[in-house]
Amino acid sequence: MESDSGSNPHVPPVLKISGLSKTYLMGEVIVDALKNVSIDFFAGELVVLLGASGSGKSTLLNIIGGLDVPSGGKLFFYGREITAATEAELTAYRRRSIGFVFQFYNLISSLSALENVQLVTEIAENPMPAEEALRLVGLGSRLNHFPAQLSGGEQQRVAIARAVAKRPELLLCDEPTGALDYQTGKLVLEVIEKVNRELGTTTLVITHNASIAGMADRVVRLGSGEVTEDRRNPARKTPSELVW
Amino acid sequence: MTLLAKKMFRELLHLKGQMLAVTAVVACGISVFVSMSSVKYSLEASREQYYSKYRFSEVFLQVKRAPEQYREAVLRIPGVASVSSRIVADVTLDVPGLDEPATGRLISVPEYRTESVLNDLFIESGRYIEPGHPEEVIASKPFLEANGLSPGDRIAAVINGRRKQLVIVGMGLSPEYIYEVQPGSFFPDKRRFGVFWMGRRALESALDMSGAFNDLSLTLAHGASEKDIIMRLDQMFRRYGSLGAYGRSEQLSDRFIVDEIKQVGIQITFLPAVFLAVAIFLLNMVLRRIVATQRDQIAVLKAMGFSNEEVGLHYLGFAMIPTAAGAVAGTLLGAWLGRELMNIYADFYNFAELVYLFRAEDLVLSVLLSFAAALIGALGAVRSAVRLPPAEAMRPESPVVYRKGVLDRPSLQKKISVPARIILRNLERRPWKAALSVVMISLAVAILIAGRYTYDAVERMVQVEFNEKHREDVTVVFNDPMPPSVAYSVTSLPGVLEHEYYREEPVSMRFAHRIRRQSVKGLQSADGLQRLVDKRNRQVDLPTSGILLTSDLAAILGVRRGDTLGIEFLQGRQLRREVRVAGTIDEILGLSAYMHIRELDSLAGDGGAFNAAYLRIDQTKAGELYSEFKNMPGVGSIMMLKALKESFDELIAESMMTSTFILTSFACVLAFAVVYNGARISLSERSRELVSLRVLGMTRGEISFILLGEQALLTLLAVPLGFLSGTGLSALLAIALSSELYRLPLVFGASNFLFAFAVVVLVSAVSAAAVRRRLVGLDLVEALKTRE
Repeated sequence: MESDSGSNPHVPPVLKISGLSKTYLMGEVIVDALKNVSIDFFAGELVVLLGASGSGKSTLLNIIGGLDVPSGGKLFFYGREITAATEAELTAYRRRSIGFVFQFYNLISSLSALENVQLVTEIAENPMPAEEALRLVGLGSRLNHFPAQLSGGEQQRVAIARAVAKRPELLLCDEPTGALDYQTGKLVLEVIEKVNRELGTTTLVITHNASIAGMADRVVRLGSGEVTEDRRNPARKTPSELVW
Repeated sequence: MTLLAKKMFRELLHLKGQMLAVTAVVACGISVFVSMSSVKYSLEASREQYYSKYRFSEVFLQVKRAPEQYREAVLRIPGVASVSSRIVADVTLDVPGLDEPATGRLISVPEYRTESVLNDLFIESGRYIEPGHPEEVIASKPFLEANGLSPGDRIAAVINGRRKQLVIVGMGLSPEYIYEVQPGSFFPDKRRFGVFWMGRRALESALDMSGAFNDLSLTLAHGASEKDIIMRLDQMFRRYGSLGAYGRSEQLSDRFIVDEIKQVGIQITFLPAVFLAVAIFLLNMVLRRIVATQRDQIAVLKAMGFSNEEVGLHYLGFAMIPTAAGAVAGTLLGAWLGRELMNIYADFYNFAELVYLFRAEDLVLSVLLSFAAALIGALGAVRSAVRLPPAEAMRPESPVVYRKGVLDRPSLQKKISVPARIILRNLERRPWKAALSVVMISLAVAILIAGRYTYDAVERMVQVEFNEKHREDVTVVFNDPMPPSVAYSVTSLPGVLEHEYYREEPVSMRFAHRIRRQSVKGLQSADGLQRLVDKRNRQVDLPTSGILLTSDLAAILGVRRGDTLGIEFLQGRQLRREVRVAGTIDEILGLSAYMHIRELDSLAGDGGAFNAAYLRIDQTKAGELYSEFKNMPGVGSIMMLKALKESFDELIAESMMTSTFILTSFACVLAFAVVYNGARISLSERSRELVSLRVLGMTRGEISFILLGEQALLTLLAVPLGFLSGTGLSALLAIALSSELYRLPLVFGASNFLFAFAVVVLVSAVSAAAVRRRLVGLDLVEALKTRE
């Protein structure tokens, strides 16, 4: 592991992870998905979490997002221990603080783009107007389209708008371009980059695509459940500069 | 087992909740079908067997008194196969252990029992009477059992003014009294009415009837015309005070059984049809979902070389297995239920042998019916599995297209929260499915309402008959009409507070070509101890002139208010008269005709007579009065209103409770199956969406609202529809179950609707809770991994 971690001892981290481990029982086989992972994330960072399939990156994201609980270790969000939270507290944590973007968008098919975003703004405490969130992702003119009437890239942008509309402290993107073609994928990354830049939302993008790492402030690489690399990019590239 | 079969069984096991729901609905339908068909067939067979084995007569005639030689004359009428002349008399009984007087119907039997005797007795215990022992009688089983008597016991009777001790030597049953009720009553009162069979000689001498008879029964030769023979008998016995001959269709006991069998027949068709319709609906829903989730598997199977037929049969199996299980369970349950129902029937109907038969045809039919339901239910889904091209099946199903609908008017949008919009759009997108779900749940509501309706109807019947219409405590019927001067002696008895005499005259009514034997009741007022009250509990006036007919009687005769009706008195001076129809009254029980007693007396042309009296009595002096009755000559029968009501309540309670319980449980199964399956399928279709919402921060309660709110809305929509169809169903039931004997009033208590509402809401809540457990148990991570 390289030691050039992005830690800054003067600013407290948004997310502090220490000694996190996760063991699954797959049938009769014990799988160590995460082994003693310790890592901090700081406010406003755009971090790309790189790793091959089975490296443990999704498990880490799920634990960060409060979808899963670790087998060991601790996770603090602004100093509050998430790993000790109850189910109701986890729901509230996701509701207030986390924005999720999924590989397959996971939009509600019976709701229009606007309504998919409103779904979140209705339950959030200090949301931005749903229309504004959609304009932010460039879909100001497609507010009333239903998912089935939108392309994959557009659907993913709706998902991003839905995730950021509640003004989350942490935006978690799980393979956001995984189901998209090259051009569309880039478009989606541009939106994520824009959200991070304009709103200052701490953003974690997990991907197996190493080329995407170029747009990050910081790149964390996972392998076999361990952090194998944690480095800072000297300069962020714009998504349009990325090639894969 | 083939691998495909193995796959099917494993997947069925996985879907066991939904499949069990289908099985339960099929089982309910089949069990009703099997139990009701077996009950109907068993009742028919028991009746048939009883009648033929004990030679039940086909034509009956009561006369005042006719010479015995007329028996031979009747036998000579062409078409008459055999004739039995008897003496029948109603007497007052003093039953050990019973304060009130009871009524006994004495029927003569030959001293020497022969092979060919008509209306033969089934002696269940004890023995037949012995010649030379005039005190010996055989008593009817229900009466003995109700009074705790048995052969060897004695009972006192006032026969022709003389008190006699009768010795009970046997306990018997006759095909004539399968339904044993006191004349003039509709409900059995086993303690206070019994039939006694006594030697002909003994009865002849006790009633001064030697060489004469007052009751004739006959059987007919094959192909003989009952109508012609009845006409001949009426001509022959007119001068002997004939009340008119009649066939089995007017024999009271047979009428009740035939009506009962008819009513059972109605239930055979209706309820199973409802359940099988619901089963078809459920199978359709469940199978479509299975095929939708297994698109990729269908593709793989076809790619591997399985034929369309094999794939089709595979999915048909998903419908056939739960249906077959339901058919088997339903048949077993139905066979058991049928037997239990027959046990209840045994309380009402006294058969010598109650055969319980289960027909192979019914079994075959129930299997065919259930398989037809499975086939129809599976058809759509199986066809889509067969038609699915493998390459297309590999691709995920194209996303569901939603469009803006009625709910998207800006004015409405602001008022409806986004989760509520999800619910409404789902319903809007598949309106037929939603509508069918509503209809299916409403059927459960309708069954609940119809089930309780009979309860309300009977309650109204009791209220009208026992509280409103009749306000007397005791009815005393005299053996012979009495002139007013004699009859008034009853009023001087101890404890009589109020009395009201009435006259009841058997007549033959004629309008155009229609003739009907009927009795006319002459009342002193419409507001005395007997009031004229219709089935809606409204009082009707007694006309000062003219005759008032029950609506059904008017319909049978084809007369309307203002028509002139011909009546011929069958007794006394046997005058033929004409009377104006003053109106009709829609009564609950029987067919009746009412007149003012003054007009009836004047039409009869005899200066007036009373047949009976209603009495209201001082209960503190009841004992004294009863013992007077027990020794009073000239009294044919005595009816106690309160006792009649109690015995009716007791009798009806069990059967009503049973049928309401069965219907309620079946309706619960139905409602549960529809709501549970609806919610499970929604869960399966939308679990990914719902989990996404959880991930986005929605609480369990919020996503439960989205999933279960839809079912709740459907249930709530189904309730008013169910109220409506339940009311309609009850109306149909009221028509179908009504006969000349009684007509069910269409009344509903508020508790009926409340009960149906509560049951359906409760059952829906239980099924929702079952589905909610699965919903909150969904693995957030797992559900996000793959695209559907």
